[in-house]
Amino acid sequence: MIEHYLSLSVLLFCLGVLGVISRRNVFVVFMSIELMLNAANLGFVAVARLHQSMDGHVLALMVMAVAAAEAALALAVVILLHKHKGNLDTNIFSLLKG
Amino acid sequence: MIDTYLFFGLALLSVLGALGLILFRHPMNGAMSFVVTLISLAGLYALLSAKLIFAIQLIVYAGAIMSLILFIIMFLNIQEEDLPVDTARWFYLAGGIVLLAPVAGLLLKIVESLPGEAEPLTEAGFGGVKQVGLVLFQQWLLPFEIVSILLLVALVGAVVLAGKRG
Repeated sequence: MIEHYLSLSVLLFCLGVLGVISRRNVFVVFMSIELMLNAANLGFVAVARLHQSMDGHVLALMVMAVAAAEAALALAVVILLHKHKGNLDTNIFSLLKG
Repeated sequence: MIDTYLFFGLALLSVLGALGLILFRHPMNGAMSFVVTLISLAGLYALLSAKLIFAIQLIVYAGAIMSLILFIIMFLNIQEEDLPVDTARWFYLAGGIVLLAPVAGLLLKIVESLPGEAEPLTEAGFGGVKQVGLVLFQQWLLPFEIVSILLLVALVGAVVLAGKRG
């Protein structure tokens, strides 16, 4: 049964990578990154159940905290970007080139 | 038996939500379908008897983070003409599938060959608040403190970035 959970985790991670490479909307790219973090979390929790140890749960908690911090910062950057350029295109980020 | 059906139902829902996220054009629709993924993932955590993670997934992810994202999407008032033109979307999607298929196949092979099967739980309260808290505050105390610093830095950074006038 656990290998089904891990397969689902692999599938969700690949869907997240696909979202990052195929879309140009900042919000969709950001939520795809969140999807990849969630897939990793599912893997942690499934392996924690397999080994009956709670460390995977703690790691999942840490990942959630990192995701929350990332959400706050990324949305602040998106608001700045929208204020300056009036656009949501990820290609606008190329202004960071030197 | 029932948990097998529940697993496949929730797995189907989560994959459909993720597909909706990467295929819907408007980010609002994508965010709503991503909420479906997050809630079905919470159900999967419950099936794995991770009670604390189940509750936190619902409260923090599906609750706090997603409502923050939805709030920002609505706050920016995105119209149809503001959306970037995704003309090469299907091209990139097909290329990404071609690139990812071998990696995913390899990972699935690895997953299949993992040894061991999940035994029925012996100790009571696996994944409960008390058990996870004991592990968190005994073996993971330093990472926990570092995460608190990270959250503080993110808070200050968000205020500095978004609160700028001009």
